[in-house]
Amino acid sequence: MKIACLWVPEPSLVAALRAEPQLCTEPLAVVQAGRDLGGRAHVLGATGAAQGVAAGQTLAEARAICPRLLTREASPERERAAAQAAREAADAVSPRIEETAPGLVYVDVSGLESLIGDDRAVARELVAAAERVGVRGAVGVAASKSVARLAARAASADLTLEATRWGVGGGAFRVVSPQEQREFLAGLPLDALELPDELRESLRRFGLQTLGEVASLPPGPLAARLGPEAALLSRLARGEDTTALAPRAEPERFEEGEELEWDASSVEPLLFVWKALLDRLAQRLCARGLMARELYLQLRLADGSWDERSLDLAAPTREVAALLQLLRLSLEGRPPPAGVRAVRLSAVVTREVLEQMPLFGPRGASPTQLATAVARLSALVGPEHVGRPQAPDRWMPFAAGCGKFAPPPPPRIAVPAHLELSLAARALRPPRTAEVRCDDSGIPLLVIGEGALGGRVVASAGPWRTVGEWWTDAPIALDAYDLELAGGLLIRAARELATGTWRIEAVYD
Amino acid sequence: MTLPARRLPKDLHALEELLRDGQVRRAPALSPRKERALPTGFAALDAALGGGLARGQLHEIVGPPGAGGTALVRAALASATQAGENCALIDPGDAFDPAPCGIDLDRLLWVRPRDPVQALRTAEVALEARFALVALDFGDVSVLPPPRQPRGVIQVVRFEKKPPSPGASPWARLARRAEKHGGALLVLARAAQAGTFAAATIELERGRAQWEGRQGAPGRFLRGTNAVGAVARHKRMPPSPPLPFHLKLEPT
Repeated sequence: MKIACLWVPEPSLVAALRAEPQLCTEPLAVVQAGRDLGGRAHVLGATGAAQGVAAGQTLAEARAICPRLLTREASPERERAAAQAAREAADAVSPRIEETAPGLVYVDVSGLESLIGDDRAVARELVAAAERVGVRGAVGVAASKSVARLAARAASADLTLEATRWGVGGGAFRVVSPQEQREFLAGLPLDALELPDELRESLRRFGLQTLGEVASLPPGPLAARLGPEAALLSRLARGEDTTALAPRAEPERFEEGEELEWDASSVEPLLFVWKALLDRLAQRLCARGLMARELYLQLRLADGSWDERSLDLAAPTREVAALLQLLRLSLEGRPPPAGVRAVRLSAVVTREVLEQMPLFGPRGASPTQLATAVARLSALVGPEHVGRPQAPDRWMPFAAGCGKFAPPPPPRIAVPAHLELSLAARALRPPRTAEVRCDDSGIPLLVIGEGALGGRVVASAGPWRTVGEWWTDAPIALDAYDLELAGGLLIRAARELATGTWRIEAVYD
Repeated sequence: MTLPARRLPKDLHALEELLRDGQVRRAPALSPRKERALPTGFAALDAALGGGLARGQLHEIVGPPGAGGTALVRAALASATQAGENCALIDPGDAFDPAPCGIDLDRLLWVRPRDPVQALRTAEVALEARFALVALDFGDVSVLPPPRQPRGVIQVVRFEKKPPSPGASPWARLARRAEKHGGALLVLARAAQAGTFAAATIELERGRAQWEGRQGAPGRFLRGTNAVGAVARHKRMPPSPPLPFHLKLEPT
């Protein structure tokens, strides 16, 4: 078995640079206003340009070392999204992945030789996949999880910081083949391992500095003297790691989040934030060949409450402009009761439908193009005004509804249609009220309506009575007539039985 | 004149001279690509249009209410959707009746914009999405801008947000979109709108309505109406003679 480990060191710094990649070459430090260090802000990570600034320093110390230092506050929302992006990058290379901690993903890369290439090619592909979602990672490939983790840690020494079009790049990798595993482990200092302090101190007292020195000791007496943790260390030093990869199902949601430094109380500042979040989300979906079929917007308000809303997309899409417009419409339609302090966008995804080009005949719209167009149109005119027309199961004349537009694939052989031209009714929604004068027998003689919808009646037919929906709050009881007005206009008019008022429901055309 | 390449003059200047004189031209492709037109469902009109609604072109139907403009649009939509094409109906007047009419509703995208300006933008988006037929129903609304005020008239200037404008030439833009993306655009209006940007203009006139039964008697009903249509202007075809047709009213 071959295991690759994708590790994202300095997650706070990577998450900040993923949102603002132009700061890669600037002296930047990500600070945390934590409770430790006497409540003072301290540095979590810094770029190479901030020479001398290191994690753990207080902000005052860092500013004293580098006066030009730019700072950004650590954002849990960004870090969560970056960790999720790293997991997706791993999943893009192999379906068997295990995330043991945020930003630490193990990938089963066995059998990828024919698909990608040798181990170096696989590691390179994993680094590139991470960079495609804007994350800089260190990759280690080895025969076991522990050795792969150590290889990734060794590769982190070669990491650089580079701004890419997707975020931050500059990843590195280290491949440890089974033949060179013993040599690799033997040279590793014990400081490179995450050991308990007590065990580390005991090993130091014994004069042990490297894993090779631990491997040379007999495992039984070592475990008897220093406990089970030393036994595990001894097995690791000899490359005997039997921990199996436990792949887990990937959650269906893709999330991006951002915390604001101020309370946003209007749409415009939120649009800037959403644009950046949607750009990153669309990039992640694109890297996986996915589209969003539902979008969830969560807003953390100034009073600490959450405003959550769901946007049911008319069709799957990942077009940023359309999604941005939908978010805008949602917020303008129902503004949050307080200022917005943090934003989180989640997408429920579906597979992208690939286009099958026809051999004969013109090229039509692909499902993706159709989906994008429906999303754009929904953003333009509102989702309730776009869709497949459908006649609801009602007694109301000329009632219409809108359903989801999902056209079936075109038929293999188109059969020519046999059609007969028929007079069509143009529905008036809502029906126009009119005054209608009738003779003694109830036959309409004159229509007084808006504009052209009026005149002397030269011919008529009716009435046709409709009584229905009496079981609802809006019962229907009316007599309908077809009328020809003096100008030649043909209309469908109806008289409500309950009130005696007339209304014009449609014009024949 | 067709010459094989080996018989063309080797001298570059001589070849340039032939090109300048128009004696040498690129030969047409062996199988010129001719996209099938979309039938309107009215055979006589299809013949007058040279096969139907040409893809990549803007067509206009102009006529008063009751002359059958809506019926023709629905027939074209029915014909195209039954042939397996996806169509879009832009309906700013919210006038479409989805009662059974021969249209395969699964293949029809119904869009109801709020105003004519939004309708024009919506039609652009639909053409970009490669719908085979985009029908723009301006039967109830006018898109022509209001007439300009004569010079010398003093107007009160208010600092208020301008209403959305259709732009300098929305029809030129739509015609270009249709040509680029290969969709047929069919506009229904009460007065000519697209002008010379329309590849064909179909004009309709209202005829007499046909009634069955005696006035006032029970059992009387509207059977339909007669109308006359004609292709008044076409870029490649001569104007057609009047084409009478009958519109039958389906019982509801």
